[in-house]
Amino acid sequence: MSAIVTHDLSKTYKSLGKATVHSLRNVNMEVQENEIYGFLGRNGAGKTTAIKLLTGLIQATKGRAEIFGEDAVLPSARARIGYLPEHPYFYEYLTPRETIAFYGKLRGLSKDAIRKEWLRISEMLFLDEFADRRIRGFSKGMRQRVGLGVALIGNPPLLLLDEPMSGLDPYGRRMVREIMLRLRAEGKTVFFSSHILTDVEEISDRVGILVSGVLAASGRIKDLTAGAQKAVELCCSGLKDEDVNAITARGIECRRGEEHQVTFILPEVAEAPPLIAEIQQKGGMLLSLIPVLESLEDFFTKLQQREQNPSGKDGADHE
Amino acid sequence: MNRIVTIAQNTFRESIRDKVLYVLLFFALATILGSKVLGWISIGQDIKIIKDISLAAMSVFGALIAIFVGATLVYKEMDKKTLYTILSQPMKRYEFVTGKYLGLVALLGVSLIIMAAGSTLYLKIAGAAIGLIWFQAILLIYIKLLLITAFAILLSTVVSPILGALIVFSFYVGGHATDVLRDLPPQFDGTRAKQVLETLYYVIPNLNLFNVQSEAANMVPVTWPYVFYAVAYGISWTLFLLILACLAFERRDV
Ligand SMILES: Nc1ncnc2c1ncn2[C@@H]1O[C@H](COP(=O)(O)OP(=O)(O)OP(=O)(O)O)[C@@H](O)[C@H]1O
Ligand SMILES: [Mg+2]
Repeated sequence: MSAIVTHDLSKTYKSLGKATVHSLRNVNMEVQENEIYGFLGRNGAGKTTAIKLLTGLIQATKGRAEIFGEDAVLPSARARIGYLPEHPYFYEYLTPRETIAFYGKLRGLSKDAIRKEWLRISEMLFLDEFADRRIRGFSKGMRQRVGLGVALIGNPPLLLLDEPMSGLDPYGRRMVREIMLRLRAEGKTVFFSSHILTDVEEISDRVGILVSGVLAASGRIKDLTAGAQKAVELCCSGLKDEDVNAITARGIECRRGEEHQVTFILPEVAEAPPLIAEIQQKGGMLLSLIPVLESLEDFFTKLQQREQNPSGKDGADHE
Repeated sequence: MNRIVTIAQNTFRESIRDKVLYVLLFFALATILGSKVLGWISIGQDIKIIKDISLAAMSVFGALIAIFVGATLVYKEMDKKTLYTILSQPMKRYEFVTGKYLGLVALLGVSLIIMAAGSTLYLKIAGAAIGLIWFQAILLIYIKLLLITAFAILLSTVVSPILGALIVFSFYVGGHATDVLRDLPPQFDGTRAKQVLETLYYVIPNLNLFNVQSEAANMVPVTWPYVFYAVAYGISWTLFLLILACLAFERRDV
């Protein structure tokens, strides 16, 4: 069974005196069980809107969403979700320990179960160091940890994390990444949004890319970038400056490194052999030849450019 | 049920930290004690005036707590986004609204008990006789507060606290003046205004029904059937308004 399925999921915000906003348009998406699904999109693309629809916080204008086969508007669907909002806010006068207990009670856990959950979660997120301090004085990172803790209560099979790494330092990001991997290893499904591409690229099994409310692409990173050009980086040493200049004069990009190392970037593999011959003929030495896949970042940027200047007939309608 | 209790407990705990509450309780107790001063002015009427003012203070300050805390109840949670993590739990929306309501109503109960205890003690010291009617009057004040709180929470699910408080305040004033609406002066006869005002008479609950303050001050007993009727009337209105609040909140985007 799929963890998440959406059918034509759409959300339109209408408010008096303001322009109508189509935050989400006919999104059809499927997230398999036990995968990490990265949900990408720039600010205002509709990531938060989609996640709020999945948690039943807002009503879909059209279409529907299913969580493990159950309609997302039902409380029983929410029993299988752990949700971390974009900016997690809790009662400021409670401590993390009390907060976990409060949400544990809302999830129907017994006192004993709550105590066990606290031990499990606080160990996982290192909450012990501020277990009994009021949230009021917490930093962004501390709040984020409490938020993740709340999402983990009751060990739900699906985690919806809205920008779980935003505002965290590298150490914090790594912690979040490790938790997501650990959750997958435990058989959980993790759905998370981000606009930090490297984070998504590194750990997601699959990604969805949202552009102005439209799911522009979805699939495995490998497949998404399969059609993309494969550039090569050719690193060599021992070339004289004027030889390097002669090559760059033909429009070939290059990076100069230390000890007379030069890296040429060629858009096509086919262009490599003649250049290698030329380098060797001029007394240079080939050090490495590395194919570089177009990264998700480039792919993502291109999609956005296409969306912004739609040349010809391009899927999305602009109202 | 457990979830409702959890929300109620938390609301109670949170409201207790609300500064408004302390300010109002302080003023209420000050008024009750200050009535002594009025007692001096009207010699011989001491006890009667203390009773009258104490009950009026309980009613007014209780209503102010209900209005000002009540009107922020749900709105604040939307505004501060604490609702995101609460409503995304496997809980139903009406459980949240009911829990919030019960939390505030429990707080009002405690506040009223404090005020009542303060004034009763004070009256006892002053040597006053306290009859059943005194406690009946306090009970009816509480019923009235239940109703006002239900209206306040209904508004807090749809409008901002300031607007909500204003509306509930008008409701409070209007509810005490329903007799005026019914007994309009003859100038209104046949006008559109009369129709509107008469309709209002029927759609605004009559809050005067809960007012037996002068009976209590004068030690005039009221019948039990009257008290039961007033309680039933108050509870019916309360349930109606609460159901409206739950319905208004059921499909709301947060
Ligand atoms: N309550 C609302 N009323 C009106 N418009 C809204 C509302 N919430 C979101 N929007 C609009 O919907 C669009 C998508 O917003 P959303 O918050 O889903 O984007 P996002 O992808 O999460 O962005 P970010 O990366 O900044 O978090 C935006 O244009 C936003 O202005
Ligand atoms: Mg967002």
